[in-house]
Amino acid sequence: MKNGQKLGLALLLVLGASSALMAQTAAPSTQTFGATVYLDYRYYLSDAGPVTLKPTDPTVPYLNNQFVFRRAYFTYENKINDFLTFRFRLDADNTANVTGVSLTGTPVSGVSLSKDDKLRPFLKNLYVQWSSFLLPDMTLRIGMEDTLTFKIAEDKWGYRSVAKTLLDIFKDNTGTDIKASSADIGVSLQGAPMKFLRYGLQVVNGAGYSHLENDQYKKFEGNLQLIPVPGLSFVGYMDIEHQLYKVNPLGLTSPMAYTYKLDGFFEMVKGLLIGGEWFTYKNDLNQALNPTTEAQERYNATGWSAFGHYTLVQNKLNVFARHDNYEPNSLNTAKNMNLTIVGLDWAPIHSSLKLQPNLWFYHYTNGTLYNPHATSNSDVVFNMTFFLSF
Amino acid sequence: MKKVLIITLALLGLAAAMLVAAPAKKMIQIKGSDTMVNLVQILAEEYMSQNPGAALAVLGGGSGTGVTGLINKTCDIADHSREWKPSEINQAWEKGVTPRFFVIAVDGLSIIVNEKNTLEKLTMAQVGALYRGEVKNWKALGGPDKPVSLYGRQSNSGTYVFMQEHVLGNKNYSPDMKEMNGNAQIIEGVLQDEAAIGYVGVGYLYDKDGKIRSGLKILNISREPNGQAYSPLDKEAVDTKKYPVARPLYQAVNGKPTGEIAKFLMWETGPEGQKIVAREGFYAIGGDYVALNEKSFK
Repeated sequence: MKNGQKLGLALLLVLGASSALMAQTAAPSTQTFGATVYLDYRYYLSDAGPVTLKPTDPTVPYLNNQFVFRRAYFTYENKINDFLTFRFRLDADNTANVTGVSLTGTPVSGVSLSKDDKLRPFLKNLYVQWSSFLLPDMTLRIGMEDTLTFKIAEDKWGYRSVAKTLLDIFKDNTGTDIKASSADIGVSLQGAPMKFLRYGLQVVNGAGYSHLENDQYKKFEGNLQLIPVPGLSFVGYMDIEHQLYKVNPLGLTSPMAYTYKLDGFFEMVKGLLIGGEWFTYKNDLNQALNPTTEAQERYNATGWSAFGHYTLVQNKLNVFARHDNYEPNSLNTAKNMNLTIVGLDWAPIHSSLKLQPNLWFYHYTNGTLYNPHATSNSDVVFNMTFFLSF
Repeated sequence: MKKVLIITLALLGLAAAMLVAAPAKKMIQIKGSDTMVNLVQILAEEYMSQNPGAALAVLGGGSGTGVTGLINKTCDIADHSREWKPSEINQAWEKGVTPRFFVIAVDGLSIIVNEKNTLEKLTMAQVGALYRGEVKNWKALGGPDKPVSLYGRQSNSGTYVFMQEHVLGNKNYSPDMKEMNGNAQIIEGVLQDEAAIGYVGVGYLYDKDGKIRSGLKILNISREPNGQAYSPLDKEAVDTKKYPVARPLYQAVNGKPTGEIAKFLMWETGPEGQKIVAREGFYAIGGDYVALNEKSFK
């Protein structure tokens, strides 16, 4: 198909759908405002691991207990009519403290102590959603929107207030070169043509919500969800983006980055959800020396996660647990780590205020690779998470 | 490690305390349609008085709230005055919910105006044109020279969706429509506004003495422009679907009903429950719906 024909077809599709939409008169507009805040009181229950290591120098601060705002969202949504919705979301976090336990900081502390560590608001979502686009079960979104990468697993895990999901959390915490973002600028199409099938397609910049586009390549994402029987679903996800190399000692001709992800969810028992995730990330630019072959090779990052939550008292008390296994560098398995999280989710008065006490157990194959002074391969951290929404 | 042990024990202790504090009696949670909330509340109270061991809690919030509650397993019975949307069926499937539907009553959805309005009847097309905002003055329909004042429900209401699908031809409501919280608020609006038009469940037309509320005019509705117009108060017209805005009122449960839920549904759809349905101004279910219920019980 020639470029002119492609453009003509695209215009026809958009104009056709536009005319159907414009045929509707405007409906009453429903506007909502909401805020969600995650606040932790964090306490280290160990003092020798890479994160929790107690400094020997008494002049170095030891942040073994602290209150910390991890995240604050402000969301404005305008349901313009029964087909169009506009969403604007500001997110605020401290860039020195992106997730619950940071492994990217200095050896003595994952938290920066510079004076300018205020919560910084930034744009997370700014999109228009067009429901029943072309087909009754098809939704189009344009703008800065959630990517397909984490969304389904995150919704099923349901405790972003406690921890992000597998790929999301480790790409932040270990600082390994995984290019993935929870939101990005672009266009997506999602649909459910049958009750046992869902699909999603997305084209985004690939730079994430916090950066402008930085190369000429776009990231293509797609997922397919199969639900063979009620309460049992499987999701396959893949993304691909051409990479721009700044130096090219290996003579790569067309470096690419891929993410492959498989999720499974079991929801057949009332109050119980069990989920699992597996991913592998391959980026031709991620090169390291293979200690066995002593050659420069591409390393991959891989991980799996199993999680579950169970409702003990409806609308009041849930229990949750998760185990992650993460291999950040396939050429160096000494960097592998495991993370186990257990906790409670208690709404004592109302669902707007939840207390979520949780314990994080880290275990590293070799903790000194993350903090050379660590004398233990384990970290244990207690968080009392306050989930506030209003 | 001692600290870890203490914290772990504390978490377990908190969970145990919460479990002990939880009510021992299993309360059946019913949630959804505002059109149905008063009726179901009365049915539940009567059922509990006859069955002292039973505990039922009834909440409104709109059909959408009830459907979402059943999908998310936060209620046991969803009241809904419209059919489930395909997207809701899909969500339920994903979350392992297989809804079964029961019709507990029939509603003649009533189009009401202020008693000072001179019109007596409208066609379905005229009602649709009014709510789409295409007719802005009553004079265009042979009524008084007054700008039309539209009263309706919010989008999570089953009645909002039913009207949109069956009367507005799936088009959007006029942006001038006042979105009210419930049927009672629509009636109050129509009573105080001479140019008003509203839609409410037939059970809401009656006062405490069982008489039609004064100050309201219930319009007869015809399916076709030159067709016979019928009143929602005409039981035979509603039963035979000659009244064009009649609709079943549903309850949905997850899977085949068992235990107290099955007993309550059986009672509601049986002679005792249906007698209360009729007493409260709605209509008892007929042959087709009885057959549907029997199928859903199996």
